[in-house]
Parts: sequence; structure tokens; C-alpha cells
Amino acid sequence: MQRSPLANALLWFVLIIGTAAFVFPLWWMAVVSLETPERAEAAITGSGGIALFAPHPQFANYANAVRETGSRPWMGFVDALSNSIVVTVLIVLGTVLSSSAVGYAFARLRFRGRNPLFLLMLATMMLPGQVTMIPLFLLFRQFGWIDTIMPLVVPAFFGNAFFIFMYRQFIAQIPESLVEAARIDGLGHIAIWWRIILPLCRPVTAICAVFTFIGTWNDFLGPLIYLHSDESATLAVALNGFKNQYGGLEDVHLLMALSVLTMIPCIVLFIAAQKTFVEGLARGAVKG
Amino acid sequence: MANVKLTKVGKVYADSAQGSVRAVEAVDLLIADGEFCVLVGPSGCGKSTTLRMIAGLEEISEGVLEIDGKRVNELPAKDRDIAFVFQNYALYPHLTVAQNVAFGLETRRTHRSAFVAAISGGGAARAAESARIDARVAEVSRTLGLDPLLARYPRELSGGQRQRVAVGRAIARDPKVFLFDEPLSNLDARLRIETRSELRTLHRKLRATIVYVTHDQEEAMTLADRLVVMHAGKVMQNASAQECYERPANRFVAGFIGTPSMNLVDGRLENGVFSAQGVHAPIPSTIAARSCALGVRPDRVRIVSRNAAGSIAATIAAVELLGDRTDLALDCAWGRMVARIDADLAAGMREGDAVGFTFDAAHAHLFELGECGARIVI
Repeated sequence: MQRSPLANALLWFVLIIGTAAFVFPLWWMAVVSLETPERAEAAITGSGGIALFAPHPQFANYANAVRETGSRPWMGFVDALSNSIVVTVLIVLGTVLSSSAVGYAFARLRFRGRNPLFLLMLATMMLPGQVTMIPLFLLFRQFGWIDTIMPLVVPAFFGNAFFIFMYRQFIAQIPESLVEAARIDGLGHIAIWWRIILPLCRPVTAICAVFTFIGTWNDFLGPLIYLHSDESATLAVALNGFKNQYGGLEDVHLLMALSVLTMIPCIVLFIAAQKTFVEGLARGAVKG
Repeated sequence: MANVKLTKVGKVYADSAQGSVRAVEAVDLLIADGEFCVLVGPSGCGKSTTLRMIAGLEEISEGVLEIDGKRVNELPAKDRDIAFVFQNYALYPHLTVAQNVAFGLETRRTHRSAFVAAISGGGAARAAESARIDARVAEVSRTLGLDPLLARYPRELSGGQRQRVAVGRAIARDPKVFLFDEPLSNLDARLRIETRSELRTLHRKLRATIVYVTHDQEEAMTLADRLVVMHAGKVMQNASAQECYERPANRFVAGFIGTPSMNLVDGRLENGVFSAQGVHAPIPSTIAARSCALGVRPDRVRIVSRNAAGSIAATIAAVELLGDRTDLALDCAWGRMVARIDADLAAGMREGDAVGFTFDAAHAHLFELGECGARIVI
């Protein structure tokens, strides 16, 4: 479709404004992370105005931030980083495996009560997390799971309503004959899910994995509630350590530096997985 | 290879809204070892359901299914040793052609995991198994000319190539019975005719037992050793293609088999004369007077001049040129009749021409009245 030059210019204008609006906070975070402590504090309190560049970039802020994370110099950061990685990897794995398996069951297996169960599952999406927070906490305390990663990781292996819904919709489009061919070829349901369905669901899996990764990596509330000791904290919780309990801002340059470091994996992952989002692998399965 | 025997096989779908729906009713069928059996009928006649019951994709509600003399009603699809070629081919899109062909063999290997085989000392056995699978894939791809395609993915193939891969996947496992569900209906007309004769050749080469479903009666007739015509869940006729064409068991088969369809006229036979709508035609027969339907194949109709003795007056409603033959649609007292005549004889005939026709009484058919009225032996 051909657009008129004016429409084109307008489109570019809107896109540029939009991009600037979204990029600015990130840019500013990077700027503050490179400021001296005094200028950083002034920037945050608003007394220093908004600078678009740091006049004297303090790259040492990054080394300092890493050293100061947690209670043990250097090792505190390693602890937080490895906690974040372990929790995130397990949760992503659990969410992808369980959601796709349940989605397959809802899409392809015929069983009594399938539709009511599906509706019930969708209904759980309407409950805000805050409502279940306290009952869940009490339950996990009964299990003796406080200050372990279990309360964060185990629920992931029981599926996520939204992703189950996404998998179900996608799997319902995969021709039934593929599943039947696999049955004749000697596969059971588990094997069909693993060897046929999951490889075909790559676009959904990419979305599910990336969103879950970002959500978990940045999750603050969950680890804050369940992980009490310093050694078990994740990066998102460790960041909070740079704010003292009175809300003091003298370490805000370090907070920003660590925030930048924390964000890098999310940005890299998002760019890497972007292409898979739009890829339709199921094409070519049947005539068409 | 094996025979397939269906005894009073039926399929009932429980449907809460309308009670239950009977899709297939008391089908009796014996398909001999190495036979090419075609189930043919209009859509919704139960042919696909019957095939899917043989495959184990659909539960059998009633009756007994035996493959190779063993009851297999309760056996899951994978243990029936059958191969199924789907209408949409159902190739695994994420696997290459070679992997698609090998898939059924891979899932059946005794040493599934290379790791387990290695630590349990089965490494050599597994390697031998892998070599056997590779050899089988190579053999199949040679038979079907798949060699240049082996590394490609299904999405990179044309419709005809996909069809070929689907057949390759079926023969790789060397099953007892091949089941085809309208495998040619997604191909264009020319490719369909080509593939049809290839299937025929393949059948001769493999001496396989084949059950083949199609709604295309021409395809059915060219392929079948045994033709099973189905309608409304029941078998209408089970015989050779020739037999179905020359001696249709009932009026439905008469109308379904053969293109263009047989001309059918309801009327009355009395003293060797068939009468309908006040028009009479001699049918040499000694049977007692009765109501019946007369059936005449279009190629048994002859165009004569309107005042020829014994001719039936008609007007040409349409002329369809087929090359060597011409189809004429005739409007007469009996309604619309179709005549298929030599193109030379049809030269000069125009729509609206007044003509007469007669037919070859020796090749006429009589049926009882009704949609599935039984054949009456003249």
C-alpha cells in the first residue's frame, strides 16, 4: 500500500515520539548510574534538573555496585545473580512444560467436564494475586517452604492460566490428523506432546518463555515475601538493599548501576526471541 | 500382509442433543490378502468412519473387526500394524522428509535411547538397528523417487511431492494393511490421474492389502479389485467394479457408478412394455406386471429421427462436447435424459433440435421403486 508523504511523515513523527517516551526512562537510568553520588542524589530529588548526559561518567560506579550488593563484598552479587538464574530457569521450564501439556489436553483430549474445567481455569485469571497472597503464604509456611525457592518454583509446574489458554488456542489449529498419524506411528499422548506438539508450538513457547523470564527476573514481591535471608535473595530484592530503610538516596547511583546490569539479560533475550514470535512453523504441515 | 474382516460393524455416535446418530450400520466385508478394496460413496455415507474404525482412530460401537484372523476391536491403532495415508498427508512439519519416512520405524526401535544402549551394552545392537532403518528409508525413497527430497521439509514440497512422502511414510514400516483416506483429492486433475496409476503399480509391486476411501467413483473404478459402494452408513454393493457397473445391485448404485449417471425413470412394466407418462418402450421380459424404475446408461441411448418407428420424441436441451464423444441432454415426456454418442454422429446437432431416441433394451436395467430399490432380474 502506498502512503502519501504527509501520512508517512505523520507516522514517523508519532513513532519517534512514542519511542522517545519509552526509551527515555532507560536512558535516564543509565545516565544517573554514571553520575557522581551528589549529582545522582540531586537528579533523583529533582533539585538538579534532568541531565541527558553525565558530564563526568563514573564507570567505577558499576564495580562498586557489584561489590556492595548484599552483605558479602563481591560474593553477595554472585549469590543474588545465581539465585535469580536458578529461580528464573526453573520457573520458565515449569511454566512452558506444564502450560503446553495442559493446553494440549484441553485442545486435543476428549474427557468429561473438559469445558467446565477450562472455564474454571480461565476464571482463576480474574483473581488478583493479592487475594491469594496471604492464604498461599500460610499454606507454604505449613509446608515449611519459607526461605526456600519452593513457593516460587513449584506453582510454575502447575501451569499458568493465560499461557495454557494461549497454548490451547494454538494447538487447536494444528491439524488433528498430525496427532492421529503420530498415534498410528506408535506414540502415546506424552510422546505426541513432546515430539510433535511442542516442536510445533515454538512461536507460543517463545512468547511464554520470554514473558515468564522477564516477569520472574524482575519479580520483586514474590522473593521478598518468601526469601528472607540475605543469601537467598534474588537480584530484584538485592537491588532494594541500596535504599536504606529510611529511604535515603545516597547510594542511588549504585542502585541505578545495578539496575542497568539486571536489565541486560531481559533486553538481550527479547531481541533474540523477537523473530520467533512471528514465525509460523505449522505452515507446510498440510496442503496449502 | 493380511486379510481384513468386518462382521456387522457399526458406529453409533452418542449425541446428547438428538439421542444417538448411527454413522455406520452392520457392515460385513471380507477384504482378501493383497486385495485393493475401495470404499466409495457420497460424503457422509460412512466410508471414512469405516476406514477410521479399521485404523483404530475411531472406536467400534458394534460388531467385530479382524485383521489376519485376530480380533482387533480393542487394540490401539499403533498395535494393529496398519499404515494410514491422510487426505491432508499429515506430514510432521518440523521433520525432514527422511525423518518423516523414518519416524514410524524410530518409534518402534527396541533401543530407543543411544545413552541407555551405550551404558547397558546394547550399543552394537542399536547401531545395527539404526543401519537397518537407514537402509529401509533409502529403499523406500528409491521406490518412490524421493531421493532428491530427503533433506527438505514438508513446507518446501509441492502437493504431489507431499503426497508421495505420505505414501513413503506408510510403506516404510511394511504394515499388514494400508489405509488411504481420499489421498488424491488435494491434487489437481492431471496429477491425480498420474498418481492413481502409480498407486496401482505400487500395489502390484507390494502385493499389499489396501483399503482406500474416495468419493470419486471414477477413481474408485480404476483402482479397485473390490468396490464397496456405501450410502447412509450401509453397504449398497460389494463386488468388482465391472459387476457394479454392469449389474448394479440397486438403484442407488446404478445412479452413483458411471459418468454421466444412469437415466432412471419411474413407471410400470406390463406384458413386456415399460410405460411412463404415456410413453411406451418394449422391454422383452416375462415378469408379472408391476411398478418399477427403468435404468438406461447414457451410452446405450441412440439418437434417431423423430418419426422413426418406436422412437421417443425429445428436444435437445444441451450439447456437451467431450472430444470423441458428445453428451446430449434430452427433454422428453420422461423428464431429462442424457445420451452419450459418438462425436461424429452428434455433428450438426444443436440445442433446441427436435429428435427422437431409442435405447438398447438388452442393456436396460429394472429396479424396485425408491431410492435404494433392489435390482429386478429381467
